Amino acid sequence: MRRGAPRRFPLPLRFPQADIMANTVIGSTIVIDGEITGDEDLVVQGTVKGRVSLRENIFVEESGVVEANVETATITIHGRVTGDIHATERAELKSNCRVVGDIRAPRVLIADGASFKGSVDMDG
Amino acid sequence: MAAPAPRTTTCVLGPQITVRGSLSGEEDLVVEGRLEGSVSLVGHLVVAPGGTVEADLDVTSVEVHGDVRGDIVASRSVTIERGAQVVGNVRAPRVMIHDGARFDGAVEMDVQLPEGLGRVR
Repeated sequence: MRRGAPRRFPLPLRFPQADIMANTVIGSTIVIDGEITGDEDLVVQGTVKGRVSLRENIFVEESGVVEANVETATITIHGRVTGDIHATERAELKSNCRVVGDIRAPRVLIADGASFKGSVDMDG
Repeated sequence: MAAPAPRTTTCVLGPQITVRGSLSGEEDLVVEGRLEGSVSLVGHLVVAPGGTVEADLDVTSVEVHGDVRGDIVASRSVTIERGAQVVGNVRAPRVMIHDGARFDGAVEMDVQLPEGLGRVR
C-alpha cells in the first residue's frame, strides 16, 4: 500500500499456490503471540505463536513460522511448524518444510524433501 | 522516514478471524475481523468497516472505519472516518475526526503555543 493513497480493500486475495481465496494473511514481518480463531482461510507468511483454531484451511508459506498447537480442517505446510497439529481433513507437508510435533488427521501427506519429527495418527 | 518496501500482498485479518494477544510487525495491516490485546506496528493500520479492535495501538498511522476501544499512539496520523466508533485516548501529531464519526476520549497533539501564551496546566 502506498502512503497517501489508502487501499480500498481489493479483497479477497488469491493465492494460486495455495489454491484458496484467502481473506486473512499474516504478512512476513508480522508476529502474533496469542490466539487466532475463526472461520476462514488463513495464510501465514510471518510468525504465529500460541494457539490457532480454525475450521478452514491454513497455508504456511516458506517464510511462515508457526509455534503453536493447531486445530484446523486442512493445513498445507511449506514453512516451519512446531507444535501439535489436529486437522479434521488433511495435513500436507510439502518439500522443504520443517515440522516438529504430532499430527492427527485422517489424511497425512508428506512430500519428498520434507523434514518431520513426531508421530502420525490417522485414526483420530 | 524510509519508504516501505514494496509488497505483493497486504497483511489482512479477515472478517471471520479473531486474534487475541500481541501483534507486532513492520508492514501495513488491514483488520476486518476482531483483534484483542496489543498492537505494535511500523506501518499503516486500517480498521475496516465491521472490524473491531480492542487493543492499545502503537502504530505509524491508523485509519479507523470500524470500532476501536483502546488508546492510540501514532507517530504520524490518526484518522477517524465516518461511521467509525473510537473509545480511548489518541496521541499523534495529526488527528482527523471526520463528520459522522463517534469519538469518546482525549486527543493529544503537540501543540506549539504562540510566544507569551503560557500553558494553563
